[in-house]
Parts: sequence; structure tokens; C-alpha cells
Amino acid sequence: MNNGPVDCVIKTPVSLQIGDTVTDMLRPGVYVTDIAFPNGKPIKVQEISFKNYYSAFLSVRLLRREEGNHEGAASAKWVTCLRNFPLMANPHTEAGSQDYFSVFRQQMLVEPDNVYSVRLILRQPSSSWLNFSIDEIKIYDRTQEDAQRGVPTWLSSLTNAAEPLLLHGLPDPETVSSSIQQMWALTEVMQSNQTTASVGRFDVDGCYDINLLSYT
Amino acid sequence: MFNVVTQPDSTLPLLPRNMADKRRSGVMSDSKPTTKAETDQEFLSQAGVGVLLRGALLKLVEARSEDPIGFLAEHFSNLAETDNSPVGGSDGEHHCNVLEQQQLSRALWHIGLAHHSQRSAFNSNTRVAYDLLMQNGPRRRGGAGGVKGRVYTELLRGLCSEGGLSVTASAPLLQRIHCHDHEAVPFELFRQGVLTCAVFADYIRKSQCLYAAVSSCPERAADRVLCQAVLGTLQEALETTSAWADVARYLEASMKISPGKLAQAMAEAQGPDRGGTGSTMDAQEFEDTAAKLFLVRVRIVS
Repeated sequence: MNNGPVDCVIKTPVSLQIGDTVTDMLRPGVYVTDIAFPNGKPIKVQEISFKNYYSAFLSVRLLRREEGNHEGAASAKWVTCLRNFPLMANPHTEAGSQDYFSVFRQQMLVEPDNVYSVRLILRQPSSSWLNFSIDEIKIYDRTQEDAQRGVPTWLSSLTNAAEPLLLHGLPDPETVSSSIQQMWALTEVMQSNQTTASVGRFDVDGCYDINLLSYT
Repeated sequence: MFNVVTQPDSTLPLLPRNMADKRRSGVMSDSKPTTKAETDQEFLSQAGVGVLLRGALLKLVEARSEDPIGFLAEHFSNLAETDNSPVGGSDGEHHCNVLEQQQLSRALWHIGLAHHSQRSAFNSNTRVAYDLLMQNGPRRRGGAGGVKGRVYTELLRGLCSEGGLSVTASAPLLQRIHCHDHEAVPFELFRQGVLTCAVFADYIRKSQCLYAAVSSCPERAADRVLCQAVLGTLQEALETTSAWADVARYLEASMKISPGKLAQAMAEAQGPDRGGTGSTMDAQEFEDTAAKLFLVRVRIVS
């Protein structure tokens, strides 16, 4: 997770209610939040992180382009990648109500690749809370294939000492190695103790010598 | 101690002097029993002997020298010189030089008390030596800026020779880190120079051990290709740079100089030429080549 979150446009949550009239008495129990990516390019989701605010259950659906289908977003389908994920152990109590959560791609039911849009469905069946939502939604993608975090090449060459080496007449590698290691360590000590303190010399390699000065 | 003649007691003319003294002190103690007992302690505390001995023992424990008596003798003679040096008058050049030599040798002694691997002891000894050298020339403006360049260079030269380095071996090092006579050396630079000399002396000693290990027998010089292979691994390890943290760099460098890698390098070097008829490299050249690897990394003072 070495890159920041991708830019996304988070739309206002839409509440789902039964009935046409919206009254103040009825508080919604379901909110749906859509997230779109401004460039219109599909992303591979690595992680979705957010801060909870009294939501009890979370479902995530992805608008995904099908594999093997190279047309545009028109052929994308909605799939559920997270179903009723509990954010609060008990919807009526405080536990988990303001926690930070991260949902990783390994936890998702489907592979979140070629995703155009993300829909978060929040449910809070308890009537104890006035409002519920989630904040600070960040989606991380995995466009870079972490090349620099791969195994360095020298590590793999450590274990290929399979062939027996003919060491007749050669000095003992252990002794030689230990001497060299000490020499290396001494050089490192000297290097790490170099300071940038200067003695305030103005000339470099004697450039203030009279012979040279006379030419300027 | 019997130069001061006390009048022998008229009542006891025939007793020897020490007996008379004992009698007299016995008489005194009879009359003032507490004074004598306290005189010893008072005397010791007035002279500050407790502090003196404690300091000496602390330094001895810190240095852990093999010759405790010699160490203590040097310590006390240094202290005596410190007490006497403000007395130095305006005798001119000769006196100044003698004073300077004394201070240099004392500074060298201080620095030699702890090996450079005992970092905190070495640092504190270097600080003591620095302060000592700053006292040089009490008539100057308090040595603003640091130790005189000439004194610093002399000290480094002394350190190198004490570390067993020959003049030719230490010359390239001094070329890089010496200071001109008129320059003032601040403490950080002083410490760095002293540490570099001490480390370089160890490094050269190690390279001599390495040569002894690489050459199969002491009388014969070592095979040139072999020497080059061995020094090449050291050079590769030193030149390791890694985009990652220092830890990764150390790991990679230490992998390059592990016994397995060295065996491989040596076998490869020896491989095509099993007859051993190649040219040889003598000890001095080996040492010089190894020294170059070290010196190229020493920052030139500017």
C-alpha cells in the first residue's frame, strides 16, 4: 500500500424507505452510497478503508466489466463483493460504532478488478441511533505491481552453493572471510563517523598560491 | 624529615631522637587526645588526597592497562605537570616547544587509553586530549576556534606511528586529513581525525593478517590473481549501494564477503591456472592496494 487513495467522487447517500411520503418520524434504516471514479477508467481495488459512524452492516457491490469482454462500461455488471459485513457486533450497543475499518481484496467474494463504480450499502436496524453513515472513505488500487518490493536478486544467489568447490591449495575461506569482514566493518565505522565539520579553508588544492593568483 | 632540628627535651638528653619524638608526642596525646586522631584525617582531606586517589583508580579501571603501576606513574606525573605548567614563564621558543611536546605526549597517552571500539570511553578521552591541547599558549585569546593545525597534524602523526603505521603508510592518510599550520581545528574534526587514524591503524594490521591468510606459506609471496580476487570482493562489498535502508545495504555487503562467496571467488580465480605459475604479489603491494580501498573513502578536509 505504497500509493495514496485513488480519486473518487462520493455521491450523497440515498436512503431507501418504504412508502412515498418522507416524514420526519420515519428514520431510514438503509443508506446507499455510490462512488464513481472520475477518469472513467476501471481500477483494481486493493483496499477500501473508512471510518464508521453507527452503521451496523455493510454490503459492497461493484460495477465490474466482465472478463474477456473488451467493450466499454455498457457491458459491466453489478456484483456483490461483500455481503452484510458486520461493523457493529450488536447494532444496539456502542461497540464498533466509531471504529476504523479496512476491507481488503482478499476478503471480497469476487476479484475486484476492472471496477468502474463502487456502491456501499449501509444498514442500521436499531432505532437507538439518530443517524448513521460512514466517513473518510478511501479506496486504494493496485495498479503498480510492486517491483521494488520483490525479492532482491542477491538473496536468491545465496542458496545455490550446490556444487562442491575444489579448494585444494586455496586458503581457508573462513579465515579470509573473517579478516575481510573486519576490514569492511572498520571502513564502515570510519565512513559513518565522517562529519561535515569543516576547518573553513577557502582554497581548494592550494589555489590561493601566489603563482596561480597572479594570473587572475 | 629530621632536617628541622627540634630542641631535645632537656629532661631526656640521652634518648635517641626518634624515641624522644615518640615520648613527646605521647606527652602531647595525653594532654589533647582528640587532636592527633583528627590530624591525620584533616591532613588527608586538606590535601584532597581522597579525590586524587579516587580519580586515579577510576582512570585505571577505565583503561584496564596491563601495567597498572606504570599507568599510575604516568597519571600522577601528568597531573604534576599540569600543576606546574602555569608557572612557565616567557623563556621563549625553546620553552614553548618543550611545553608543546609535553602536551602532545600527554594527549597521545590519553587517547591511547581506550581502544576506538569502546566508543564512549574513546570519545571522552579524545575530549580530554582536545581540552589539553587547547590550553596551549595561555597568552593567546583562549584558543578560539580550536586546536592549532600544526599541533593537530603532529598529533595525528604520533597516533599513526603509535598504531604501528610506517611513515609511508600513513602519508596518504595524513595528506587527506591534515590541517595547515595556521588553521584552527574544531572538536568535531579533531575527533573524526583521531578516530580515522586509530581505525586505519587497525585496518592495516588486519590487511597484514589477511595477506598472511591468503599466501599459503609465509616464505612465498601470494598469488597475484588470488590477491586481486580477494581484494575485489572487499571492494564490491564497500561499493554496495542500495536503494533501501542501510540495513539492506549491510546485508547485501555481508553476503558478498561471506565464506561461501569468497570460496567461490578464490576457486574461480585459481581455476584456469592450477599450476600456480602466475605472478605473485608481495606483502607491501597488497597492503597498499588494501589501504587505497580505505583511503578513497576518507573525506578530504576542507
